[in-house]
Amino acid sequence: MAIIVRLDEQLHARRMTLTELAARIDITLANLSILKTGKAKAIRFSTLEAICTALECQPGDLLAFDPALPSEE
Amino acid sequence: MNSMSTRALAVARPVIQGLTVLNILYAVCITLLLAATFVMPGWMEKALGLDLVSKYPLVPIGLRAIVVTGVIGAAIVHAILRRLLAIVDTVRGGDPFILENAQRLDAIAWRVVALEGLRLVVIAIAAAVWEPGRLDGFSLAPWLAVLMLFVLSGVFAHGARMRADLEGTV
Repeated sequence: MAIIVRLDEQLHARRMTLTELAARIDITLANLSILKTGKAKAIRFSTLEAICTALECQPGDLLAFDPALPSEE
Repeated sequence: MNSMSTRALAVARPVIQGLTVLNILYAVCITLLLAATFVMPGWMEKALGLDLVSKYPLVPIGLRAIVVTGVIGAAIVHAILRRLLAIVDTVRGGDPFILENAQRLDAIAWRVVALEGLRLVVIAIAAAVWEPGRLDGFSLAPWLAVLMLFVLSGVFAHGARMRADLEGTV
């Protein structure tokens, strides 16, 4: 997919683990892991809002678009 | 899911299995009946005390054709019941919104159309060998059922697509 999820970088910058983030925003570790590895097909605004609140960042810090990558379909 | 549909779901499996057995028995019985009309011609009329043959000489052939139609109908009903059971199993398993169920409902709808077609064939045979209008003609209920099944099939196909979308949503 041409959308890149930069959750790992944001977590690393804040010295936070995925498990800690999952506990803070009340989303399962499995779902966050799907998001982190770029396997998610869609993200709810509520999830994005919760992650941005917990990591004190903007949606643009978490998501990027790379046209060089193949699209899903 | 309300309590009525939960109860209906609980009894659906044994009811469908029972109907499957009854349908197989019906198919076997009418096949034997068909064989008996060749081995012992005229026995049925004698047993029933009817003498249709003298007035309507084509009745024995017509009855055989109707029995063959009945056997075909039993095979179609068997296919419907098998698909219905598979759908009930997916509901019980908690995963009914799959494309296979949409295809099953589509197949059931076409088979109900075929059954209605067979009913018209039986009416046509009866009219040809006996007296026209002795058996009832058009009925709206089966066609409404067909329409409902096609709509349900579309609903299931849409539901399956929505579920596939939700599966990857975080």
